[in-house]
Amino acid sequence: MKGYIKALVLILVGFAVMLPLASTYPDGLETVAETLGVGESEPLWRGLMPDYTLPTIENPYLSTLLAGLFGTFLVLALSFALGKALSKTS
Amino acid sequence: MHIPDGYLSLEVSLLMSIVSASFLVLCWKKAKATYPKSFASLLAVSSAFVFVAQMINFPITYGTSGHLVGGTFLAVVLGPYAAVLSMTIVLIMQALFFADGGISALGANIFNMAIIGGLSFFLVKFIAGNSVQGKRFTTAVFVASWLSVVLGALACGLEIGVSPVFSQVGGIAVTVPAMLFWHTLIGLAEAAITTAFITQLHRLQPAVLNGLALLKEGAF
Repeated sequence: MKGYIKALVLILVGFAVMLPLASTYPDGLETVAETLGVGESEPLWRGLMPDYTLPTIENPYLSTLLAGLFGTFLVLALSFALGKALSKTS
Repeated sequence: MHIPDGYLSLEVSLLMSIVSASFLVLCWKKAKATYPKSFASLLAVSSAFVFVAQMINFPITYGTSGHLVGGTFLAVVLGPYAAVLSMTIVLIMQALFFADGGISALGANIFNMAIIGGLSFFLVKFIAGNSVQGKRFTTAVFVASWLSVVLGALACGLEIGVSPVFSQVGGIAVTVPAMLFWHTLIGLAEAAITTAFITQLHRLQPAVLNGLALLKEGAF
């Protein structure tokens, strides 16, 4: 368990350090769409934090960092629950 | 490679949802039979790593970026079926909370990244054979992770290419080559990162590589 907490801390520190270096260029699919002149349509569902930003926080680094942390713990909790459910003997 | 809303026709959306749902049921059953002991912590931290890694885009070239998908990474750490489920959680959260990948494209995105990614385990197995360390294993991880991205891009190119928005501008004849071109390059970065992480884990914490253990046992 201790090892996993250490790994998680490493992941989060790595995230905080790497985030400002992350590229804002369009990704492969976005480039393909742009090249072909296909625009993005309005999403059916915008989510609570569209494009990993908290609408209430102005600092872009902090906004994305917090959105990312929120997502990380959400994924962590759900995957843990999935793991528990999978290893439960029926 | 996350497809947004509006790119897929209703038929493609529905078809991919049915295909992915069927795979997920199968993976759930298989994963349940595969993991007798609790591995919830490993699953949780691995999924969290992939979620975080997918937020860090790296520049490729000509103003285009890519990010780690992490399918082969998860496959070697968790084994194929749990890897599919882990990536599916990441994709659902991205669509629900961050508008990263459209809700209507979730089935397609799960197929392109979670299912192809997780099942790239069998590519590793095919290439590595019985050797679970050394050059051949490293090569297997490299090639499988590259292919997982390229095959995902191929699927994505087909899905958008047959849908109206893209069939108006040339359809699969242009979407497939364009997707393959970019993801051949992005896949190289995926392969380099995956190989580096797996090699280090293998050196430092070999016990966490469940997928590798399954490979060794010849489980599937």
